[in-house]
Amino acid sequence: MATEVKLPELGEGVTEGELVKWLVKIGDTVKPDQPVCEVMTDKATVEVPTAVGGVVKELKFKLGDVIKVESTILTLDGAGSSASSAAPTHKEAPKAAAPAPTTAPSAPRSQPAAMPATMHEMMAQNSGIYPPVADSKVLATPSTRRLAREVGVDLNVMKGTGLAGRVTREDVLSQGGNGASTATSSNGSMKAPTFPVPSYQGPAGATEERVPLIGIRRKIAENMQMAKHIIPHFTLMDEAEVTELVSMRESLKDYAEKNGTKITYLPFVMKAMIASIRQFPMFNASIDDAAKEIVYKKYFNVGFAADTPQGLVVPVIKNADQKSLLELSYEIMDLSKRARDGKLKSDEMKGATITITNIGSVGGTYATPIINHPEVAILGMYKISDRLHLKADGSVGSQKVMNFTITADHRLIDGAVAANFLKAFIGKIQKPGLLMMEMR
Amino acid sequence: MAAQQFDTVVIGSGPGGYVAAIRAAQLGQKTAIIEREQLGGVCLNVGCIPSKAMISAAHFLHKAQHDAETMGIHFKDISVDYKQLLKWKTSVTEKMSGGVKQLLSGNTVTIIVGEAEFKSSKELSVKTATGTDIITAKNFIVATGSRPIEIPGFKFDEKEIMSSTGALAMDAAPKKLVVIGGGYIGLEIGGYLAKFGTEVTVVEAGPALLNGVVDPECAQVVARKLTKSGVKVLLNAKAKGQKKSGSGYEVTIEVGGKEETLKCDKILVTVGRKPNSDQSNLKAAGLQIDERGFIKVDAQRRTNVPNIFAIGDICGQPMLAHKASHEGVLVAEVISGKNRVYDAKTVPAVVFTDPEIASAGMMESECKAKGYNDLNIAKFPFGANGRAVSLLETDGFVKMIADAKTGILLGVHIVGPEASNLISEAVLAIEMGARVEDLALSIHPHPSLGETMMEAAEATIGHAIHIIQKPLSKSKEARV
Repeated sequence: MATEVKLPELGEGVTEGELVKWLVKIGDTVKPDQPVCEVMTDKATVEVPTAVGGVVKELKFKLGDVIKVESTILTLDGAGSSASSAAPTHKEAPKAAAPAPTTAPSAPRSQPAAMPATMHEMMAQNSGIYPPVADSKVLATPSTRRLAREVGVDLNVMKGTGLAGRVTREDVLSQGGNGASTATSSNGSMKAPTFPVPSYQGPAGATEERVPLIGIRRKIAENMQMAKHIIPHFTLMDEAEVTELVSMRESLKDYAEKNGTKITYLPFVMKAMIASIRQFPMFNASIDDAAKEIVYKKYFNVGFAADTPQGLVVPVIKNADQKSLLELSYEIMDLSKRARDGKLKSDEMKGATITITNIGSVGGTYATPIINHPEVAILGMYKISDRLHLKADGSVGSQKVMNFTITADHRLIDGAVAANFLKAFIGKIQKPGLLMMEMR
Repeated sequence: MAAQQFDTVVIGSGPGGYVAAIRAAQLGQKTAIIEREQLGGVCLNVGCIPSKAMISAAHFLHKAQHDAETMGIHFKDISVDYKQLLKWKTSVTEKMSGGVKQLLSGNTVTIIVGEAEFKSSKELSVKTATGTDIITAKNFIVATGSRPIEIPGFKFDEKEIMSSTGALAMDAAPKKLVVIGGGYIGLEIGGYLAKFGTEVTVVEAGPALLNGVVDPECAQVVARKLTKSGVKVLLNAKAKGQKKSGSGYEVTIEVGGKEETLKCDKILVTVGRKPNSDQSNLKAAGLQIDERGFIKVDAQRRTNVPNIFAIGDICGQPMLAHKASHEGVLVAEVISGKNRVYDAKTVPAVVFTDPEIASAGMMESECKAKGYNDLNIAKFPFGANGRAVSLLETDGFVKMIADAKTGILLGVHIVGPEASNLISEAVLAIEMGARVEDLALSIHPHPSLGETMMEAAEATIGHAIHIIQKPLSKSKEARV
């Protein structure tokens, strides 16, 4: 009798995790409490132990699959001895503040599955075949079943939108992109776009290395592809004379340091941007394609792109309009640090209404950023440089200049509107004193 | 002789093997097929096709003898030239086997006539008329099929104690025949021989004919008609042995604890078929065989040896040609790197008795076992179908089983004229996940036997037109 080992609770509010590594293979003998795989959640990478021992018979998921809590991750043969508990062990010791996993399955989950022996045999033999064979109860036409197989969708865990729960071609296609074994689509009616899945074959004998596209990298890939697919992007570029801004920041440095933080240009840019959005509310909006409506947001959650060893992440400062420059500084420092350490909570990366990308701190004069869908705009800030300036009295002085871009969703924002927005923004960032007038 | 190398080598050219070879070649694999006898295997040569030729002839004779007069047609001196019949039967199988050869050649499949044995998982030796060839391939497809089961005391000589193979080759209808085994092969052959004048006795060990393999109500219709046409059916009867007696045989059977003897000229043993897994030296390839003799395969029909696949009768029930063909295509595509599995919802089964039985999907008992507790089951009789009446073929019915909760069609069981041709609609409906309403609302041509499908679907919902059912308003209309 095969025993099913399920994905235990991974922590408060975490309903799923992505399989990043198997620690066992078929045929391995495992002991109770032995970690069997590593699963990445929004919070951390977690080792998942088995509650019971036995011989690994079947691995139910492949690397990169998103697994829902309580899904069977593997089956064991000859399972018997069980551990007293099987709580996932966090690889990085969770900080005191981080919620520890509250519930852990305390008993081995070895309820005998109610299926005929032949069925069991079949399932056992099917190891290595993915997706698993659709059960006869699954309602999908033969061609849909084949499509599901070809795009890697497991029909057994899909909820069909068709009559009597029929899985339609569209259902399969909308799941096809993510290859997740456990369907997690919450917006059942919203059809996600589908993308071609070309294969790549290098020249024979070429030195190449293949690594699975999983984890943050895959999330980035999916998000970028979707954003570029849905949003008609355009980017406007201009430069601002930021001599005053530079001197203002210089003058505030000491104060910030005394208060335990570092002041960068980002909080100023945020403030100037929010003030500009108040004049141009379409920059703080979303398009609800399914409902064919524009959603104007009356709150200002500003995402900022952070480069981390794992890849790009975008922490979000909630209600940035209501925070002081000092508060913004604190929060930016904190979020950046935890982004680098891979310790951001999932809700700290969600809910942005507009995003700022600050690639200028590395280099480059201008970029054409990609909008973080469902947002409709992204503001780019670039490096500050000095330039010669002919003053009114004919003498030559030096000025600080900084380049900015605004990239917008052309469905909602026309070119002229974006130009006026950028002009308004530059007007404010050039005269940071003006910002004080509107600050609350 | 140097080893011949191929991408894919298929062993056995039955309906599984030759189909696999063609698809493999279509997909660009350098393919060979090995056959020790005739191309087309049992099905084309000593199974499905020749038996259908004989059944058609018997049916024709039966119509001429019994139905023609009702229609006002009188034949004088109807006689059967059994030798000519046999010739025609052979011409049919030769035509089909020749067709297979053409198709294989046309698809550039190398045909090797000989007996193959595995030397290892990568290598075969093939004994041909001229010597022994060594053949290597990246992938092998074992499609070596099955053969009739012999029972103790009834060793086949294929002249007088026969399997289906011998029975189909007889050059005359015997006077008295004992058929051991009331399964579909015994009833098909026994049934047509009865029409050619043979006195047939069927000895079945179980409590019913076609026991457990078809819908019991369908089997009853056939049993009734067999008895009516003079076939003697002995149930719960075990064949113990036989001995030569004069020019014929005495078969000893045991019924209800008592022994009886049956006199006959010939004996037909049709108690089932067993996979040929004891041949081809499968052990050398390291293939795992289960306790019933089937090669163990996964859902892609891959054996425990990754480059060897098995399809058809050799890899499991149901032992049906069309299942083998489906698997043949599947495996050829898997070898070409396509992601395929065997995920058909149903394998239809047809029995060429009189009347024919055909089924797709689940029987009532199977539905219950699967957890469908609330079923809508209805039958529509061929007697209420205009085309059936005008064909003088009114025995039988179409029975449909649907999930009462969703209306989804779970099983169709037909006994009646052309059941074998009618069932395909049911297969499509089940594979598509159709609800009975889908069948009921599809316009079926009139007058045709196919209308019975539409009507049976209506009956399942509760309001067929051509039989009296409850008023529409009170019917249990399937809802989602």
